[in-house]
Amino acid sequence: MTANIPGLEPLVDDVSSVPSAVEERGVGRRHTSRRRLYLRRFLRNRGAVVGLAILALLILFALAGSLFTSYTYTDVDFANLSSAPSPEHVFGTNGAGNDTYAQAVHGLQRSLVIALAVSLLTTMIAAFVGAAAAYLGGLPEKIILGVVHFLLVVPSFLILALVSQRAHGDWRVLILVLTVFGWMFGARVVWSLTTSLREREYVQAARYMGVGPVRIVLRHLIPNIGSLLIVSFTLGVVATVQSETALSFIGFGVQLPDVSLGTMLSDGANTVSSAPWLFYFPAGLVTLLTVSMALIGDGLRDALDPTSRSGGRA
Amino acid sequence: MSVPVLSVRDLEVSFPSEAGRVDAVRGVDFDLHPGRTLGIVGESGSGKSVTSMAVMGLLPDYAAVSGSITLNGRDLLGLDDRQLSKIRGRELGMIFQDPLSSLTPIFSVGRQLVEALQIHQDLDRDVAWKRAVELLDLVGIPNAAARARSFPHEFSGGMRQRVVIATAIANNPGVLIADEPTTALDVTVQAQILEVLKLAQAETGAALILITHDLGVVAGTADEVMVMYAGRPVEKAPVDVLFARPRMPYTIGVLGAVPRVDSAARAPLVPITGNPPLLIDLPPGCPFEPRCPISVARCADGEPELGPASRTTAGHTVACIRADGIEDGQIDGAPVYPLPPVPESPAVALPRDQRPAVLELTAVSKTYPLLKGALLKRRVGWVYAVSEVSLDIREGETLGLVGESGCGKTTTLVEIMNLRRPEHGTLRVGGVDVAELRGRGAERELRRRLQMVFQDPMGSLDPRLTVFDILAEPLRAVGEADRAAIGRRVEKLMELVGLDPEHSDRFPTAFSGGQRQRIGIARALATSPSLVVLDEPVSALDVSIQAGVINLLNELKAELGLSYLFVAHDLSVVRNISDRVAVMYLGRIVEIGAVDEVFEHPRHPYTEALLSAIPVPDPQVERTRKRVLLRGDLPSPTDSSPGCRFVSRCPLHLTLDDAQRARCTDETPALTGGGDVDHRNACHFR
Amino acid sequence: MLRYVARKIVSWTLMIVLATNLTYFLANWFLDPRANYLQLRPPRTPEQIDRALSQYDLSPDTPLLVRWWHWISNIVLHWNWGYSPVGEAVNGQIAFRIGVSAQLVLLSTILSTVIGIALAVYTAARQYRFADRFNQSLSIITLNIPVPVAGLAVVLLAIAFNRSLGSTLLFVAGAQSPTVTGFWPLVLDRLRHLALPTIALTVINYAGYHLLQRSLLLDNINADYVRMARAKGLTRTEAIRRHGLRTSLIPVATSIAFTVPALFTGAVLTETIFAWEGMGRYFVTTISKNDVHGAVAVAAFGALMTAFGAILADLAVVALDPRVRVTGS
Repeated sequence: MTANIPGLEPLVDDVSSVPSAVEERGVGRRHTSRRRLYLRRFLRNRGAVVGLAILALLILFALAGSLFTSYTYTDVDFANLSSAPSPEHVFGTNGAGNDTYAQAVHGLQRSLVIALAVSLLTTMIAAFVGAAAAYLGGLPEKIILGVVHFLLVVPSFLILALVSQRAHGDWRVLILVLTVFGWMFGARVVWSLTTSLREREYVQAARYMGVGPVRIVLRHLIPNIGSLLIVSFTLGVVATVQSETALSFIGFGVQLPDVSLGTMLSDGANTVSSAPWLFYFPAGLVTLLTVSMALIGDGLRDALDPTSRSGGRA
Repeated sequence: MSVPVLSVRDLEVSFPSEAGRVDAVRGVDFDLHPGRTLGIVGESGSGKSVTSMAVMGLLPDYAAVSGSITLNGRDLLGLDDRQLSKIRGRELGMIFQDPLSSLTPIFSVGRQLVEALQIHQDLDRDVAWKRAVELLDLVGIPNAAARARSFPHEFSGGMRQRVVIATAIANNPGVLIADEPTTALDVTVQAQILEVLKLAQAETGAALILITHDLGVVAGTADEVMVMYAGRPVEKAPVDVLFARPRMPYTIGVLGAVPRVDSAARAPLVPITGNPPLLIDLPPGCPFEPRCPISVARCADGEPELGPASRTTAGHTVACIRADGIEDGQIDGAPVYPLPPVPESPAVALPRDQRPAVLELTAVSKTYPLLKGALLKRRVGWVYAVSEVSLDIREGETLGLVGESGCGKTTTLVEIMNLRRPEHGTLRVGGVDVAELRGRGAERELRRRLQMVFQDPMGSLDPRLTVFDILAEPLRAVGEADRAAIGRRVEKLMELVGLDPEHSDRFPTAFSGGQRQRIGIARALATSPSLVVLDEPVSALDVSIQAGVINLLNELKAELGLSYLFVAHDLSVVRNISDRVAVMYLGRIVEIGAVDEVFEHPRHPYTEALLSAIPVPDPQVERTRKRVLLRGDLPSPTDSSPGCRFVSRCPLHLTLDDAQRARCTDETPALTGGGDVDHRNACHFR
Repeated sequence: MLRYVARKIVSWTLMIVLATNLTYFLANWFLDPRANYLQLRPPRTPEQIDRALSQYDLSPDTPLLVRWWHWISNIVLHWNWGYSPVGEAVNGQIAFRIGVSAQLVLLSTILSTVIGIALAVYTAARQYRFADRFNQSLSIITLNIPVPVAGLAVVLLAIAFNRSLGSTLLFVAGAQSPTVTGFWPLVLDRLRHLALPTIALTVINYAGYHLLQRSLLLDNINADYVRMARAKGLTRTEAIRRHGLRTSLIPVATSIAFTVPALFTGAVLTETIFAWEGMGRYFVTTISKNDVHGAVAVAAFGALMTAFGAILADLAVVALDPRVRVTGS
């Protein structure tokens, strides 16, 4: 906040100083740890809490959902082709007679595994490449940034489709290609943040003390971009689900006989007026997944970022 | 007495916050009379800026405001934004602290002035533009007609503040509010701006509220002064009375805590212990009570009202129940603040030239390429950041390095701390030439002897490390691996700088600004260095805190036999702490010598101007002082042609004949003493 | 100024050339044009297939560099982007598809920018009130709804709408009806086809602008110069509109350029859902039919669009920000 109103200071930066400074004066309030403060700020964000609850339910559904049906996602019930939801098939069946409920459980599992794996990998690559560029500086920095910029410009979706098409929908290959074309944006953000951290006085202080470069990166740089990485991981999950869904929807992602939420959507799209349940259930699940992750990411950013405005709006 | 233009009564402002309600302003009363200047003084968080924002009606929506603010007979507090907007700019003009961010970057200054005029006056564009140019001319913008078309980023800070003043007076308001108008500016520019402010006030006949933390600025400008503490006025008096006979212990303390440029070196300062209170759930009683040296049990019972005390003159009110007994800074014959003893360094027993040099710079230069272009950066010239700087620091000595922003003092410091062979010249630390430094071991040994304290007490401490880890880091960096030894050392360091070793497991955010700076000092002392480089170590601190840190630095120096390189823009602080001083201008040292010698008998015209520009917290002195006002701004240091770099602004240059002037522009003056080896300056004619 | 633009164009052209060639090699690596002939009845011999592919420079038996040389020289010399494995000219396919995609993408870009920014101005002035909270939640949801879900939801709503109206006002498939003649009927027909996919793309895209512009505006509302504008006598709303908005548009203008690739992906899905024969649909077709040259042309188009967006954004920034103008010229 640029407005220089002294009374506002406790509202925005170092909120954590307030309780402890009070304690120093002997009022006797307990010292609030950093983690508890983050938790408090996160819990105050109603959207984030709702998102967390939805995500927990989704994960529970993906893990334990198969216990409530006798069908697997590949089983075919020839007596019920394209039948509407019924006690036998609670989400109905598709044109081939697959149980939609069983497919949804499996599809959600598949989408979740892909999203979590890709997001984890891209965040790690982004952190490493971004920090390396910022730390090395000079020519290596220019080259890395050039590559990142170029990869941002190439129609990566097309290349994704090319590669994944050839792999015939193997989800492990999908993880690989989504990772290869997914880390650039994060790397740029990490780079710009690390570059500004590099100029901080405490990093300068460490350098003037004779602290070695590796130690500076490990002790001063990485811990201070930690919160960014956590947030970028959550938002990475959203982006990956979006890409996976899109690819599978046009037939270049996960392919039959494997099932993901994207392939189910594509299935449902063709029969949206004749068998709408084939669209409703996967659409609901995928939307809940992306929106809940986005809300959590939002809440985390507000909770971890000391300059965010979520602090103290009584 | 005339009718006041502005009356404020029982003003209270509070904000919601994470920790509870912040009572930022808790009962402010004052009257402002036409043409008069009221100075509001206080530390950060004292409520002075919030008061001015409340008067302007510019507080955020969630602020709760009560009381009354009467401007020309009309209460402003009941008005909504639309009604207030008719008054702001027409009856109330405001000058903000930071001229760099006060002007909209995407509009020309002329357009912004025209807007200010057209909001309140029915002028057509041409007339408004002409008037805008007149206003710019009035506030001293050279070549105003052409410059009106320029954008804010094409102006220097001082010039932008002139534009802000022009905007504030555009509609001849009856009241001007200036919130720290010169804090962001260099001292010679500050002197110019204060003159412009006086001129603007004379031109419009407006009453002025001047908000500042700088007692010197108030002494030279205000008619009446209100001192604020913890959201309340604690003392109010005509300016002469306040400075001559303060009655509130806080005022007495702050006046004693400020080093003065006109008092001799190392006069001890009055430190006020503790920190200002947080304005959340304030306990009853005087808010200054926990820090007050003369508090009694009764002080904690209730908050004293602002009122006259015995023997106070007219218009002098004070909020202290013991004010009756206070006279001349003494209570019942004893000083309110006993002065701390002056520490004496044992090393100083030897004459200067017999002590070894801990730092020697010989003709050190540093240039940067000047880049231009949005896509491909092209080099279009060189910035001569530091040119042939030579200085030495002897054991147990403090050298103050002073100058305005852009003079090269920070570059000099970075050159020293990098421990690399300079572009030109030699750098010797502790007698070792850094160009001959081989291997990490040798560099580590040198780093052990050379440590640094940074300006920003928050930014220089990693927020993710505990104080213990922060203090242990330099020890580990020089190869100390024994955990127990590190633990003992950290405990010792905490005690040395006056912090409780018990608190070493806390994070920096848990400490106040002054305490953080003490942690920074402790870290610098961890490896028992012989030379500590201090980069503006107190400029981010409030005056009452600043004194404690300065005293600590003086004590440590005497106790540990340290040498300091003290870089600062505040000459008062430099005079207090330094043995010798070097004055820099555009990358060159223009004068160097013993501190009292340079401050009492400056030789270089720049030093003269710089010293005269510093306001002294004494209205009588301020009124009689002659000020050397410099023309214009600092030129950019990209010119390498010979000649004196000060020539474009030099007052002495104007008095010379043609042959002498030619010498100024053609021949670079050397740093010579004219017979005095210790006090040297770089002017041909001094 | 002109030199600045010229330099930008040169560097972007380089980028496009690089991206297109990279795609060419990747496409040759991952797509197998022989597959198109393998399914034909009666089955062809490998020699027949090879002969058929050779005339289009697609035979895997010809060294890749030779094929590349033919391909690139045809583009440079004759502006001929090659043929599909079954002999359709890429140029002919692209010519009409570009127009189809362009209307969709352009219209929805304009709409989502305008809606997003307007919404941001509206909500930023009402920070933390109901209208702000509601719109922010809505934007977070629409921003994160997967494109197929949003598209199909629009289809379902439109079907319900048409049903309640009793006639087909809005078409859920195709870009135009083949039988309509006359200028005004044609325009009307186009609009009736354009409405739904544009709505779908806009719903997906506006939220990004809304959230970005809102946070930038909020930063600016507290900026010193907005406070100073209020001190001059502008009301809060006027100060935000005159001083805050234009300044905060600068980063948004920059970001529009970088949304082009995402928009392209969005168009692929939207065209699939609404059965539009545009570049997006062509993209899906070329890849599933192993059409190397077609896929590369799509990539070139995508890169060109990105460059176009980036240059426009640069110009917008120059127009908005005098600080850049000075250093740029």
